[in-house]
Order: sequence, then C-alpha cells, then structure tokens
Amino acid sequence: MIQHNLPDMIYKFLLGISGLSAIPDFLLVTASYLIPSAAVLGFVMFVSGMLTYAERKVSADIQNRIGPNRVGPFGLLQMLADGVKLILKEDIIPDAVDRKLFKLAPYIVFSGTMLAVTVVPFGGPFIVADLNIGLVFIIVVSSLIVVGFLMSGWASNNKWALLGGIRSAAQIISYEIPAALSLFTVVLIAGTFSMQKIVMSQGPYPWDWFIFHNPFTFVAFFIFFISSLAEINRLPFDFPEAESELVSGYNVEYSGMRFALFFLAEFANIFISASIAAAVFLGGGNIGLDPYESGIGFQLVMVLIFFAKVVPLCLVTIWIRWTLPRLRIDQMLSMCWKYFIPMSFACLAMTAIWMLVFNGNGIFWRMNG
Amino acid sequence: MVTVREYFGNITNAVRTTYKGMKITLKYWVKEPSITVEYPDRIGGLRSEDLVSERFRGYLKVETSKCTGCLLCMRVCPIDCILIEVNRRDDRRYLDRFDIDQAKCMYCGLCVEECPSAAILFSKKYEGACYDMKELCVSHVSSPVPAARPAKKEAPE
Repeated sequence: MIQHNLPDMIYKFLLGISGLSAIPDFLLVTASYLIPSAAVLGFVMFVSGMLTYAERKVSADIQNRIGPNRVGPFGLLQMLADGVKLILKEDIIPDAVDRKLFKLAPYIVFSGTMLAVTVVPFGGPFIVADLNIGLVFIIVVSSLIVVGFLMSGWASNNKWALLGGIRSAAQIISYEIPAALSLFTVVLIAGTFSMQKIVMSQGPYPWDWFIFHNPFTFVAFFIFFISSLAEINRLPFDFPEAESELVSGYNVEYSGMRFALFFLAEFANIFISASIAAAVFLGGGNIGLDPYESGIGFQLVMVLIFFAKVVPLCLVTIWIRWTLPRLRIDQMLSMCWKYFIPMSFACLAMTAIWMLVFNGNGIFWRMNG
Repeated sequence: MVTVREYFGNITNAVRTTYKGMKITLKYWVKEPSITVEYPDRIGGLRSEDLVSERFRGYLKVETSKCTGCLLCMRVCPIDCILIEVNRRDDRRYLDRFDIDQAKCMYCGLCVEECPSAAILFSKKYEGACYDMKELCVSHVSSPVPAARPAKKEAPE
C-alpha cells in the first residue's frame, strides 16, 4: 500500500510545476512541509479568532444581551479590532519577573497548542502529518502546555499567577489520565494510533461512528469531552484562571501580544479538543470514500462534514461555560480520581472484553451482519 | 464512607442537574430575545431622539420663518432664558437675535403654550453634553431674518 501524506503530495505538485529547473531539492522539501504547517497555523488563528466572537455572541444570547455588533456586519470583524488593539498595547514586563522564563512561557504554550494541530485530520487528505502515533502525540503535546503555564506562573513572581500555574499543573496532569484512557477505547477498536486511519475505519453514518460502537465508547466519549474541558481550562474547570479567585491566574502579569498568545492558544485548544472528539468518536470527515483517491470536490465535502461536527462541539463547549458554575478545587480533583478514572478504566476494560466476546463487532455492525 | 448507592447516585445526580441547567440556558440562548436597549445609537438608523415619547420636552427649537417677533415668549419666561432683539428697518421688522440659554431653561413649556404662531416648540433632542457651559446658549438667528407678518384675525361670525 502506498503511504500517502500531504507533504508528499505537495512535493510532487511542486516538482510538477517547477519541472527540471534549477530549484534545489531541499528547498522543495522544506516548502512542502512549510506550506501545510503555515496554512494550518493561519487557519487555526482564524478559527480561534472566530471562536472569541462566538463566545461573546453566545454568552450575550444566553444572558439576553446583544453582544458585539459594531465592527462589520453582525460584529463579525470584531476579532480584527481585538487583534489590532492587542498589538498596539504596550508590552509591559514587570521589574520583579524572571525575564527569560517570562518571555519564553507564551511561546511554549502556543507551540504546544499548535503542535497538536499538526495531527488533526481536517477531512480528506488535509492532515499535516499523519503520524502512526498520532493519538499519543496529541496527548503528549497537550500536556506540554502545562510546562508553559507553570513557567509563566513562576516567572511572573506574583502569588495569583503562581497559584494559577500550580493549579493548572494539578488539573491537567490529573485529567490527562481519563482523557487518554477514554481515547484508548477507540484505539482498541481501530487497532491503530494514526488519526487518519481511525477516521477511515469509521463510516459516514452515525451507526458507523465509534461513539455508537458499544455502550462503553458512548460513555467514554462524554468522559473524554468533560476531561478535555478540564485540560483546556474551560469552565466548569477554569481553576488556573478563576477570575473571582485568582484575578486572571497564570497570565495576570502579561499584556499586549504576549497575552494574546495565551488567549489564542486557549481558544485554539477549544477547537482542537472538539476536533479530536469529532475525529475519534464522531467519524471525522468520513463520507465513505477514500480520502486520497477521490476528487477534489469530494475532499472538500469531507472538510465540510468535519466542520459540521466540530462547530457544534465548540458551541457546546461555550454553552457549558455559560451554564455551569466553577467547582471547588477539591471537588474537581475528587471528580477526576474517584469518578472519571475508574469509569474510564472500566470503559477501557469492558471494551476490550466486548471486542473479545463479539469478535470486534459493534452493536449496529452486528445487526447489519 | 461512600456507599455504592451514594456513588452512583452522585453520578446520576450530576447528569440530571447538568441537563437541567443546560436546558435553561438553551431556552435563553434560542428563544428569549435580547432586552438590551442600545444607546446612544441603534443599529439600523434609529437615533436616541426616536426612543423618547411623543410629548417629550427636549431642547427648544425655533422656526424663524414663522416667528412674528411678538416677544411673548421672552416676557412669559419665568427665568429669562430667552433673549430676542427685534429692530425695524426699511418698513420691516427684523429678528436680529434669538438666543435661548438651555443651561437655564427649566422646560416648563410656558413659551410653547404662549406662542401665537407655534414658532417655538420642544424638540426631542436631549443630549446636550459639552465642554463649556456657554455652548448651551443656543443662537437661533445667525444673520437678521425678516419677522413673519401676523396672520389676520378672522372675523367672528
């Protein structure tokens, strides 16, 4: 079987248009890896900008307000205004901070977020790197963010920032476990860590998705979704930046573009967790065709299908934020260690038994024969 | 110690209460309209003047083409905030000055009631914030305007 991936396709395309001209090969290779990375980076920045708009608009709707409606039609260009404002702001570095760590921390958080995007299958062939350990890669790089949070909290030399950093470490490390265990139920079924292959082994219809494979993956989906809320510091688990307790948590001393990096990373995280949930449990952009061999029209339909699943999940994330109050920190940890870890472990074990007993068939797959 | 019943009770309780809360916010998200009144200007061309009631007493406005220069409003004003100068030149009366000090005006409406030709009226403008109180003294006549001739009284039948 031919190993497909996006950089190879771009490389062949570039080779095709440049022909046998004097462009050195290593430039072409670099370009074929840089182009999709840059495209995805820009795209995710755009998406997180749109999510800030969605967040403000949804919160306004829920609270009977109007929300941003001044910049552009329906306030859609609000994110441009926000971006310009943040760029123009003075970049303040307080005297008492650890300058090196203080400057480094936002980039670690941001790059940890953006690394996770590289293995997100956007539907069709649009995945920057189809790693054979894609799912593990996501779990690993998303816990890399905690280093940045702790770093910014410590370097800020501020009690609130430090408390925020420590809380985020406690929270992300604990919720990493149920999230990973619930993702591994799917790995048991699909037999692979590669995101693209996980998507391809599902089908276009809801009964082909892994969420409806057996009752335990159904539970695992919700466990994953809630623990990913905790991992990306969203309410009801926003302890690292609890406004009413810690002012703004680990990013309290940051301003201007450094703050914007934290902010963008946070909203990009919403998109990433929603897209992992969509790809792993809800069939991603699968429309029953081969993502590499079908025409460009079908490939774009796959992207559309993928976003038709991701956008509602993002909206649910926002909706949860404006519904549920913040838990207490001991409740958060007891919820993780007493409920989520046993439940997700049970889901993993029961899925393994299910696979043995029913010979790898799901409920609906068995009905279909 | 947490019993097994309590443990699973907690889980169902969490799911039930979350569902309840999410249902309420969904209702507000989808159904309930916004109750915000946009001020000072609404999207869609409505201005703040359009929001006030029909008989609102805002700034006084003067239609100098109707004004006969009878000075009734100036005389009736209890706090003397209206100043009118009328001069006769070439056999016509000219309004040389028509100032209303909106800072002093108490919006009693006596001038509006008194005016025989309905030249002085309440507008709906009420946003008068400015940097100097002198700006609140509004001149309605910049260059001399011929005063209107009073309408002839109709003979009672």
